Amino acid sequence: MINEVRNTVLSIANKNNFGYITPNDFNLYARQAQLDIFEDYFYQYNAWNVKQNVRQSGTGYADIVKSLEEVLDSFSATRALLYRGSSLYDLPENYYLINKINYYNTVITTGSTTNFGTNLLEDNTATFITDNVQVGNLVSNDETGLSAFVTAVVSETELNLSNDLFNLLGIDYTIVSTNPSTIREIERVSQNKIFYLNSSPLTYPTAMYPAYVLGGADGTAGSSNTFGNTVTVYPDSIGTQGMVITQYIRYPRVPNWTYVQVGINQEPSFDESAADYQDFELPESDAPNLINKILQYAGVSIRDNTVAAFGKAEETEANKQEGQ
Amino acid sequence: MAFLTDYQYYENSGNAPENENWGSYQYVSLDEIVTNFILMYVGNDKLINNVEKYNIRFHAKRAIQELNYDSLKEIKILELQVCDTLRYVLPADYVNWVRISLYKDGLLLPLSENIQTNWADAYLQDNNCRILFDHDGQILKPSTSTIDMQRILKQKKTIYLNEMSQYHGQEGYFYNGLWYFEYPIGARYGLNTETANQNPTFKLNKQAGVINFSSDMANELCVLEYVSDGMEKGDDSNVSVNKLFEEFIYAYMKYVILNSKVGVQEYIINRVRKEKAALLRNAKLRLSNIHPGRLLMNLRGRAKWIK
Repeated sequence: MINEVRNTVLSIANKNNFGYITPNDFNLYARQAQLDIFEDYFYQYNAWNVKQNVRQSGTGYADIVKSLEEVLDSFSATRALLYRGSSLYDLPENYYLINKINYYNTVITTGSTTNFGTNLLEDNTATFITDNVQVGNLVSNDETGLSAFVTAVVSETELNLSNDLFNLLGIDYTIVSTNPSTIREIERVSQNKIFYLNSSPLTYPTAMYPAYVLGGADGTAGSSNTFGNTVTVYPDSIGTQGMVITQYIRYPRVPNWTYVQVGINQEPSFDESAADYQDFELPESDAPNLINKILQYAGVSIRDNTVAAFGKAEETEANKQEGQ
Repeated sequence: MAFLTDYQYYENSGNAPENENWGSYQYVSLDEIVTNFILMYVGNDKLINNVEKYNIRFHAKRAIQELNYDSLKEIKILELQVCDTLRYVLPADYVNWVRISLYKDGLLLPLSENIQTNWADAYLQDNNCRILFDHDGQILKPSTSTIDMQRILKQKKTIYLNEMSQYHGQEGYFYNGLWYFEYPIGARYGLNTETANQNPTFKLNKQAGVINFSSDMANELCVLEYVSDGMEKGDDSNVSVNKLFEEFIYAYMKYVILNSKVGVQEYIINRVRKEKAALLRNAKLRLSNIHPGRLLMNLRGRAKWIK
């Protein structure tokens, strides 16, 4: 989609040879535009929920809330939080919103990889069958936090996984049970409530009803222990790598229109095969919005008020049609 | 929680204890209540949203506590021997007593709560009745008050009709077909039926957490029937409530949560309040378990002559 968006933007902005947008500038505007629209989804979701409650949203194809949820869910990711001791866990670096954190209270086995391959976990010291590892169990990489499900128990020492987690030897892993009775949701509690929660006989956190607060209590701003990037889990009996797993909404990946320069003074040519190529992650239907947003930024950049105004007017019109 | 197979129910799948699941189907656990409530009553398109799980758990537990105090009739029973100290330490999960009995000769004999006190705290005093203090300014206390000591030493008289009664062993005169007694003060006209019981008596010392018995209870077996609050000593996994009250608990939780939220219309609060009250009545009726078999036994005594 990114190439179509760029071609359209260039077509509109460069109509009278007013200005040319370099690939670097385009990538900067594209990132900004995508983030803007991505964040707007959450506000739209809230607005449409309100409308739904006053019966202004329908079902089936008219179910706007559902379609917005689909877009947001496409940014959903799951990852085991990395344990750094004292009940403190690191949050994923690319999270936008923590939707939930679960505590998987039954570790089936742990170990280190002795070989690697695509979607493979191999540990020749393991006894996966004896340990009763089953299809559907959750495996996490203890160094990256990435996780995958067991899709097949090949042998005592080999498992097939739903994702590729290991690309090195000697990587520690944890396998936990995914039986619903072994999973407890860890509840988010605000910093100003956690003291009272811990002091209340009826609601204090237990392994059955754990709680977490954002930001480690011993966090120091500016250090690797920065507030906001960690969670402290209660009760403190929960403190093992691979047992605390989050489902969160991540930021969209930064779009990158990659190209090759065929010759000097030649138009850069789109190169989809570049290693750092990244398309927009928003749905195809957001292409007009992306174009409008990028045009607004480009219009300011090339000092063409008409382009910026056109982008703004198109965006306003689109919002009106969408009932915002 | 999934339904149990027959093997899981009767044999606990071969694990110990075998009776783990017996009768479990009549209960719904706290975890199920919290999960069902969040699933069915909390959401963007529901009356309740933006409520913390601990809030829900708190109200679920409060509902279970309230039900345990009266409606549920979940009686716990503990048998202990009363030693020479004539003291029965209340169970750790005790909230209120239902009945206290002496178990003797194969019979349960219900005990009466003494209408007078049989225990007291005491302060040490000098010859001029001045209270004595230690160097920290704290009042000095004897280990046992006189009333307690006399009770333990079997010297304390009682107004109840047993061996420790003030009238026990009094001499009388048989004259002209009638008995006459000399009492220390005045005369006795008729019987005080409230105290006309020869069984041992008890009095609760709630602050101390003990039941104090009269001296004739020494070395006897006491059976305490009591109610708890259903919190199972803080083990949430064991907290449960009879299924007959499940719907009431959801209604109660809806009511208390909406009632404490800002901006909820009064008509909604009234609606859920009425729902809660109606469901409590329903559940109580169901739990009272009135059925012909039970009524028949009671009604058989209706034509009995009382002499």
